[in-house]
Amino acid sequence: MTTVLTVLWHLTRAATLIAGITILVFLLVRVVPGDVVDVLAIEGGLTDAQAEALRANLGLTVSWFDQFRAWCIGVLQGDFGESLRFRVPAADLLWHAIPVTLRLAAASLLLGFVLAVSVSLLATLRPQSVFVSLVDALNIWSISVPTFCAGLVGILVFSLWLGWLPVLGNFLVPVIILGVDAAGQIVKPLHEEMKELGTAAYVRTARAKGLHPLRIVIVHVLPAAAPVLLAMTGLIAASFIGGALTMEVLFGLPGVGSLAFNAINGRDYPLIQAVVLFLAVSVILINFATDLAHRLIDPRPER
Amino acid sequence: MATSSEPVDDPAVRTGDTGSDRIRRGGRGMDTIRRLPATLLFSLVVLAVFLAAVALGSVLIPQDPFEQDLLNRNVPPSLEHLAGTDNFGRDVLARLLYGAKLTLMVGLGGVVSALVFGAVLGLTALAVGQWLSVPVYGLIDFIRALPDVLLALILIVALGPAISSVMIALGIAFAPFFAYVARAAWMREMAADYITVARTFGAGRLRILYRHALPNIIGAVITLVAVILPRCIVTESVLSFLGLGVSPDTPTWGRMIADGTPLFERAPHAVLIPVLALSTLTLALALLGNHLRARVDPLRADERRRKTDR
Repeated sequence: MTTVLTVLWHLTRAATLIAGITILVFLLVRVVPGDVVDVLAIEGGLTDAQAEALRANLGLTVSWFDQFRAWCIGVLQGDFGESLRFRVPAADLLWHAIPVTLRLAAASLLLGFVLAVSVSLLATLRPQSVFVSLVDALNIWSISVPTFCAGLVGILVFSLWLGWLPVLGNFLVPVIILGVDAAGQIVKPLHEEMKELGTAAYVRTARAKGLHPLRIVIVHVLPAAAPVLLAMTGLIAASFIGGALTMEVLFGLPGVGSLAFNAINGRDYPLIQAVVLFLAVSVILINFATDLAHRLIDPRPER
Repeated sequence: MATSSEPVDDPAVRTGDTGSDRIRRGGRGMDTIRRLPATLLFSLVVLAVFLAAVALGSVLIPQDPFEQDLLNRNVPPSLEHLAGTDNFGRDVLARLLYGAKLTLMVGLGGVVSALVFGAVLGLTALAVGQWLSVPVYGLIDFIRALPDVLLALILIVALGPAISSVMIALGIAFAPFFAYVARAAWMREMAADYITVARTFGAGRLRILYRHALPNIIGAVITLVAVILPRCIVTESVLSFLGLGVSPDTPTWGRMIADGTPLFERAPHAVLIPVLALSTLTLALALLGNHLRARVDPLRADERRRKTDR
């Protein structure tokens, strides 16, 4: 019974969050001075009469409330509206952009995860080794070097000086930059947690039994540190879905971030709304998955 | 974010459990003596240099940051131009020193508005009662669920490109951090005996907040300023880089990076020098912030308590 209630509570919260974000962004983009017709007028040289006709045609002359109602009804029927600039369904544009962002986010997250786990494992295993400093180095790197600065330097070194990779459409450099950034954020809390767990009574017992230190760290310490690892990974995954924006713009990757950037610049309301709805739903799904995984993985009995 | 490894924060030390653990003992004493003051020293030195640049910038460098010298465009660093010149022949070092003030101004403006939107609003709502705090924190949750760069982008477009809109956008995007820390600190203080005493004496909710709880909450909030300031500075540079930050005649460091990017190949120094300056500053601020936070963060204090109980 309580489980059902918990699930219901989570679903209600998620629905409220999605609705709230949608309304917030809907209002925000309409407060923005200038609309898509202005942008088109600057680009294509429309007369005032043409601009007004276009506005009426695009449904921009009716009140915000009516626009919102029309949009909501569309979304419930699976229609996210048409991009005002490109005259194709916003869903299609989003549909093409999502795989690019997912690939970038997944690859970076995987790299960050593997790097963070292996470095903190080695640092826990060999507390006097260089790996402990590596934990701090990664962490400090992720705090102090903005990813787009690292991206600029990456372009300079690999593309312009060494001539190895094409500047645009490149995939490997952003993955490395985002991966190292993610690793830096995960590795420090994970290492702290693993150090802390190393003092637990059950670890002492394991050592007294004569288990190999590697076995202790992998079988006994790491699973207990999983909640911290999960929480950090979930947070970073959520931020990558939209936060890879600068990397996508910098490296010319046609992902969700680039799409959002162009949509905001072009006042393309339906496209902005579609992107934001997608982001809100993904963030909520990621949080939900993190919660669920937490329950499944945490070896401690429920408190 | 990093936690510093101070002995005070270590439950094992506090409970007197120094056990013969091989895994955890590695050089912790040395850690405390050697590494911590060094990082702190580093950040203090960097910040001193930065503040000196803010205060004395125009005195130290004779060149005008806006003077164009079209015959000497994109000159690499030399004796005449210590950091070279940019695409308009403007002296990069002069612009860097001039921009230090602007960078600090935008960053501080962002942090202060985040503090107002997050902590002041959040605490007042908490003090007034649930009918206000639930919707306020609901709104904060919405803001939190959007990526901060995206949110700031929308806000700046909405407010129009000006230095004040950048500050407000940063403030709203970073407000949740302040709101959550303020709530954690508020919860912690409300459980304390002195609040119960104040309440029995009939003190009103707002009076309890400003007179009694605030002095104990303020530390955590101020510390967060040091943690969020570098993030504001970085986000401002990202926004400028995307073409939506401050206008070109206000050369913050982010703006300088953005301006130099199209001519990266021809004049890498015009990008790399501000990048280096920006990274060094954010590093110093982040180290200082983490050092402060390890002492007073209420969220982390709860974590510590839980771990000791376990």
